[in-house]
Amino acid sequence: MKVAQRLKQSRELGILLILVVVSIVITLVAPAFFSIENLFDILKSNVVLAIMAIGMLPVILTGGIDVSVSSMVAAVTIIVGKFLMNVSGNIFLAFLVGCLSGTIMGLINGLLVAKLKIPPIVATLGTMSIILGVSLYYTNGNWITGLPKNFIDFGRITIGSFYRQGEEMIGFPIQLLFLILVAVLTWFILRHTLVGRGIYAVGGNRVSAERVGYNVDRITIFLYAYEGFIVGLAGVVHTSIMRQVDPNAFNGFEMQVISAVVLGGASSLGGYGSVSGTLVGVALFSVINNGLILMHIPTFWQKIVVGIVLIASIGFDVTQKRYRESHNTKVDIEEA
Amino acid sequence: MSRTRKFMIILMVLLAMTGLAFAQAKKVTIVVMPKLIGIPYFNASEVGAKKAGEDLGINVIYTGPTTADAAEQVRMLEDFISKGVDAICVAPNDPAALTPVLKKAKAAGIVVLDWDTPADKSIVDLSVHQIDDVVYGQHCWDLLVKEMGDSGDYAILTGGLSAANLNGWIDAGLSYAKTKYPKLHLVTDKVPTDEKQQVAYQKALDLIKAYPNLKGIIGISTPTPIGAAQAVQEKGLKNKIAVVGTALPTDSRPYLEDGSLRVVTLWDPSKLGYLTVVLANDLLKGKKPVNGQEIANVGKITVKADGKTVIMGPPTDFTKENAKNFAF
Amino acid sequence: MKSNTDKKTLARLQSKEAVLLFIFIGVFVLMSVLSPTTFLTWRNLQSMAFQLPELGIFAIAMMVVIVSGGMNLSITYTAALSSIIGGLVLSKMTAAGIGPGPTILAGIATFFVVGLACGALNGVIVADIGIAPMLATLGTSTLFEGICLNITKGGAISGFPDAFLWFGNATILGVPFPMIVFVVVVAAAYFLMERSPFGFKIYMIGCNPTVTSYSGVNVKKNLHRVYLFSALLCAIAGILMSSRYNSAKESYGSSYMMQSISAAVLGGTDISGGYGRIFGTVLAVMIIQVISSGLNILGVNRFIINVIMGGILILVLTINFISSGRKANAK
Repeated sequence: MKVAQRLKQSRELGILLILVVVSIVITLVAPAFFSIENLFDILKSNVVLAIMAIGMLPVILTGGIDVSVSSMVAAVTIIVGKFLMNVSGNIFLAFLVGCLSGTIMGLINGLLVAKLKIPPIVATLGTMSIILGVSLYYTNGNWITGLPKNFIDFGRITIGSFYRQGEEMIGFPIQLLFLILVAVLTWFILRHTLVGRGIYAVGGNRVSAERVGYNVDRITIFLYAYEGFIVGLAGVVHTSIMRQVDPNAFNGFEMQVISAVVLGGASSLGGYGSVSGTLVGVALFSVINNGLILMHIPTFWQKIVVGIVLIASIGFDVTQKRYRESHNTKVDIEEA
Repeated sequence: MSRTRKFMIILMVLLAMTGLAFAQAKKVTIVVMPKLIGIPYFNASEVGAKKAGEDLGINVIYTGPTTADAAEQVRMLEDFISKGVDAICVAPNDPAALTPVLKKAKAAGIVVLDWDTPADKSIVDLSVHQIDDVVYGQHCWDLLVKEMGDSGDYAILTGGLSAANLNGWIDAGLSYAKTKYPKLHLVTDKVPTDEKQQVAYQKALDLIKAYPNLKGIIGISTPTPIGAAQAVQEKGLKNKIAVVGTALPTDSRPYLEDGSLRVVTLWDPSKLGYLTVVLANDLLKGKKPVNGQEIANVGKITVKADGKTVIMGPPTDFTKENAKNFAF
Repeated sequence: MKSNTDKKTLARLQSKEAVLLFIFIGVFVLMSVLSPTTFLTWRNLQSMAFQLPELGIFAIAMMVVIVSGGMNLSITYTAALSSIIGGLVLSKMTAAGIGPGPTILAGIATFFVVGLACGALNGVIVADIGIAPMLATLGTSTLFEGICLNITKGGAISGFPDAFLWFGNATILGVPFPMIVFVVVVAAAYFLMERSPFGFKIYMIGCNPTVTSYSGVNVKKNLHRVYLFSALLCAIAGILMSSRYNSAKESYGSSYMMQSISAAVLGGTDISGGYGRIFGTVLAVMIIQVISSGLNILGVNRFIINVIMGGILILVLTINFISSGRKANAK
C-alpha cells in the first residue's frame, strides 16, 4: 500500500509506464526481445551511456549542462589506450589514469562555470571544441589497436553463467559492476550527504541556496569534477568493451546522454531528478533502439519511428504530470 | 585605455595561437581534400599524398572538413580558390553539391580532379578511382558467397545511408547478386552504423537475434565489419555467421586472426593519395595519363575510354595470413 | 528607477557588443597582416560573403528561439526537409517540361510551406504539449531526418532548373545574392525582435514565462510564432543551400547545428533566455567566418581551428565576466 502510494506520487512513474508498454509491444512482435541473452546484450551495449548519464545527472540537477562529455570520454579513451600500450598494462592503474584525467577535465569545466561565471553550455561548448580538437590533432583519428591481452581478457569477464551458447558463456558482464557502483555512489551522494542536498538546493533556487549557507561555487566545482571522474570511468569501461580506441567513437554522443537524463525526469531547469529516473530514461532509449531491428522495422522508417515514439513518450509524461499536479493541488485545497 | 588594452590582449593571444606555421615558397600547390580528416582511411591516403609531394618537390595541402558535410567542403574549397592554388583534388561528400564550386574553381583557372569518389563528370579534368565501383561491389558479394555459400540469409551493415560511394557499391553488389546468386536472401534493407564500431556491434547483435537463420553479414565502410565481427565473436557464432567487408588490415587484424572476421577487402589508400598527386602534377605540366602507364610506387593504371577516368587497380583481400604484412 | 535600469542594460549591451566588434576588427586585421596577398583580396572577401549567410541565417534562427527561453535543435533538419521536398517539386516539374518561371515559384513556395509546417509542429510540441524545447526539438529533428531519408533513400535530389542556381551563386554589383538575402533577414529580424511589440513579448517570455502570462501576454501564441519565425529562416537557408549546392540532401549543413549555438552565445545571447541582440549574433558569425577562412588560407590544421574557436568562445565570455565585474565594483 505504502509502496503503491509512493510509486503513484513518483515523478518517474510516467516514463516507467512507457518503458513497460514499449517493452510489452516489442515482446509481442519479437519474442526474442524478452530473453536473458537480449537483456544482457542491451545492458552491455548501453552501460557506457548509463554511466555517463548518471554522471551528468547532478550537473543537470543544478540547472547546468555539459556538452563536453563526448569529447572528454573520447580523450580519456585515448589517454588510457596510450597508457596501456606504452606505460603499463596494469588494469588498476588504467582505471586510475582514466578517472584522474576525467576528473581534471571536469575540474576545468567546473572552474570555468563557478569562478568565471560562464554559462555551463557555453563553457562546455568551448571545452568540447578544445578537447576534441586536441585529441584529434594528436591522434589524427587513428585507432589504437592491439591493447594488452590482460586488459582485453578483463573486459570479457562474466560473472556467473546462465547458459552456454556455442563457445561463449552468457553471463553477467563485468562492466555492469561499474554501473552499479556509480549508481549507488551517486544515489548516496545525492540523498545522504550535505553536498547532495546542496545540489538540489542550488538547482531549486541558487540565491536561496547561497543565503542558507551553501557554498555554491564549491558545490559547482565538485559536481563537474565528479562528473569528470565518472566520465573517466566510463572511458575505461568503454575501452574494455570495444578492445580498441577510436577517437571518433563518441561524435554526437553528448546529445544521447543529455536526452537520456532529461527523459528520465530530470528537469533541465534544475531541482528535480533521481538516479533511478535516469536509469529508466537510459533504459527507454536503449529498448527503443534495440527493438527497431528486432521488430523488423525497415531501415528507412527507423528514424521516423524513433522520433515519433520519443515525442509521444515525453508528451505523455508531461501531460500526465501536469494532470496529476493540478489534481494534487485541488486535493490540497480541499483538505485545507 | 581599458578597451585598447583588451584589444591588444586579444591580438596577442590570437597571434600566439595561430603560430608561425606558414612559410610557403612559390611552388606548385596542389590541394588534396578528403571527405573528412581524422579517420584512419583518409590518414593513410594523406601519407601517400604528402610523400608524392616530397618526391615531386611540390607543395601538397591535405585538408578537409572534420565532419563528412558537403557544405563544409564547399566553404573550404572557396577559401582555396581565393587563396589561388594550382590544382584541387577532391573526394566529394556529395557529387552534385560540389558542382557549382568546382565550376568556380575552373573559371579561376584551377585544374580540378576528383579522387576516391567521383564528382560531376562533365567538370573534372581527371577522375582518379581506386577501383571500378561496380567491380568492387561485385567483388564484395563474391567474397561473401565464398565464405557463407551461395544460399541463405544475410544482412548488410553500412557506414551511413547517404554516403554516395558506399551506396554505389551496395547497389552494384545487390543487382549482381540478383542474377548471379538468386538463392541469397537479404533479410532487411542495409542498416546504418554511423561509421562507428560500437554502433555496428550493437546492430549486429540485434540482427543476429532478429534473424536467427543469418549466415552472413557484409560490412561496408571501414569500422563496420570490425564491429560486426566483435558481435559474432562474443556470441560464439564465428563458425555459423560469416562476416566480410571493407576494412583496413591493421584495425581488423585481431578479428581476422581469430576467424570471427573472415576476409576484408580494400586498396592501399596511401597509394591512392600518391597516385592522385602524381596525376595532378602531370596534368599541370600538360601530360595526360595513358592506359597501362606505369606509375612509380603505385603500379600500372587503367585509363577508361573517355580518357579521363583512371582506375588504380584491383583491391587487395586481407586475410588471417597476410594482414600482418600491411602497415595501414 | 526605471531609467536607471534602462541605462544599465544599455551599458551592458554596449560593452558586450563592443568587445565583439573589437575582436572582429582584431581578427580581421590579424588575418590581413598574416596573409595580405590572399586574405585581403576582393576575391576572398567575396567568397566569404558567399559562405557567411548560411551560418548567419541559422544562427539567427537559433538565437530568436534561445531568446524566448528555448532551444531549437531541429534547425538543420528543418532546412533539409524543406530543401528535399522543395527540391522534389523543382526537379519533378523540370522533368515534366514545365518552364523555369512557374517551377521556381512553386518550388520556393514549397520550401516555405514545409519549413513552416516543421516550425508549427515544434511550436505545438513546445507551447501546447509543454515538452522542454531541447527534448522536443531533438525529437522532431530525428523525425525530420527520418522523413528526409525515407524520401531520398540516402541519395541527393538534383536536376533543378538552371535559373534556380541564381539564388545561391549570382552577384549583384559584385555583392553575392545570398549576402543580400542575409542583410534583409538581419534587418527583418532586427525590427521584429528589437523594434516590435512581438519581439518585446518574446524577450519577456524568455525572462519569465509565468510572470509574462500573468501580465496578459498570450505566451503560447507568441511561442508558436517564434518557432514559426525560426523555421521560416531555416527554409530561407535551405533555399540558399540547395541553390549553392545544386541539390538537396539530408546531411547538408549538419555541421551548422552546434556552430549556430556557438555563434548565438558568442554573440552575447543569454542561453537561459531573455537577452540577445541581432547585431551581436551577426558580429559573432562574422568573427567565426573570418577566423575559419583566414586560418584555412594559412593552412592551419582544421582540428587546431576547432581548438582556437573554443578558446575564443571561453575568452570572450571571460572578458564579458571581467568587464561586468569591474563595472559592478566601480559602482
